[in-house]
Amino acid sequence: MKIFIDPPNSMILFDLVERFGHEPLSTMAALQEKIDNIEVDMPPMNVTLDDVVKGLKYAGIEVPSGVRGRLAIWGPMIEEADAAIVIEEAPFEFGCVGCERSELMVKYLLQRRGIPVLKLDYPGDEEDGKVFVGKIKEFLEGLN
Amino acid sequence: MSAERETRLLMICPSAKITPEMLVRSIHSLDINVSLKETCYGCLIEGTQKDVRDVVEYVRQLEKNAIFTKRRAYHMGDPVRCRARHGTRPGFSQLEEEWSKLPVIKAGLDSLDRGEKYVDSSKKEKLSVVKLKEICEVK
Repeated sequence: MKIFIDPPNSMILFDLVERFGHEPLSTMAALQEKIDNIEVDMPPMNVTLDDVVKGLKYAGIEVPSGVRGRLAIWGPMIEEADAAIVIEEAPFEFGCVGCERSELMVKYLLQRRGIPVLKLDYPGDEEDGKVFVGKIKEFLEGLN
Repeated sequence: MSAERETRLLMICPSAKITPEMLVRSIHSLDINVSLKETCYGCLIEGTQKDVRDVVEYVRQLEKNAIFTKRRAYHMGDPVRCRARHGTRPGFSQLEEEWSKLPVIKAGLDSLDRGEKYVDSSKKEKLSVVKLKEICEVK
């Protein structure tokens, strides 16, 4: 099954989903398609007109362009997903999760689609790690 | 450009016994047609999807729960991303943060392999009104 991961560039989630036998939907695969086929200079920083139009499907015109640009990539992945794993309160300073509004929109879109969603926090110690991995395994096995 | 191209990033857990050099040497010794680049955290591999998946399968057998992997959109050594060629690294902070969490994930995977059950004691409680008032009121 196709699993949407959030943060969408998370290595931990990508690895665990793949390890437990499912297909992770990640930003990396979506961007590779642009790099290989469209040859935009530097995605996701540079976008095409089509991306802007795609983004409008998920967020209104009054929404900041950064949110719309992110959703142009993540929105189609959410539509394609059979389930999702979301890490809540991920430190917002890093990576493509650097926008709380986009995160809220992603959670809203997931809720609207009505697919199974597992919400977790990043683990702090080994006990948390066991719970984190155990919950992901249980969730993914339950989907089969 | 081949539509089948896949670039992967292999990252070694800080608590692992294997080093990037050992990892690269063992992948080199395989008869699989992938390009390889050793990095400080592990290595990058690039090839057709099938070849890359074969390498990932092999690497997981090498040290099962200590080597993590994810896809990479850009080519290996792409000037837009390669630090040696002064490319920007917008995803690096994310990787660095997750790298520090890998020993914890490894411990979780190891405990699963031992068949241990987890106990979830981290239930979030909502903030009570009384507590909120205590916080708000200046005493």
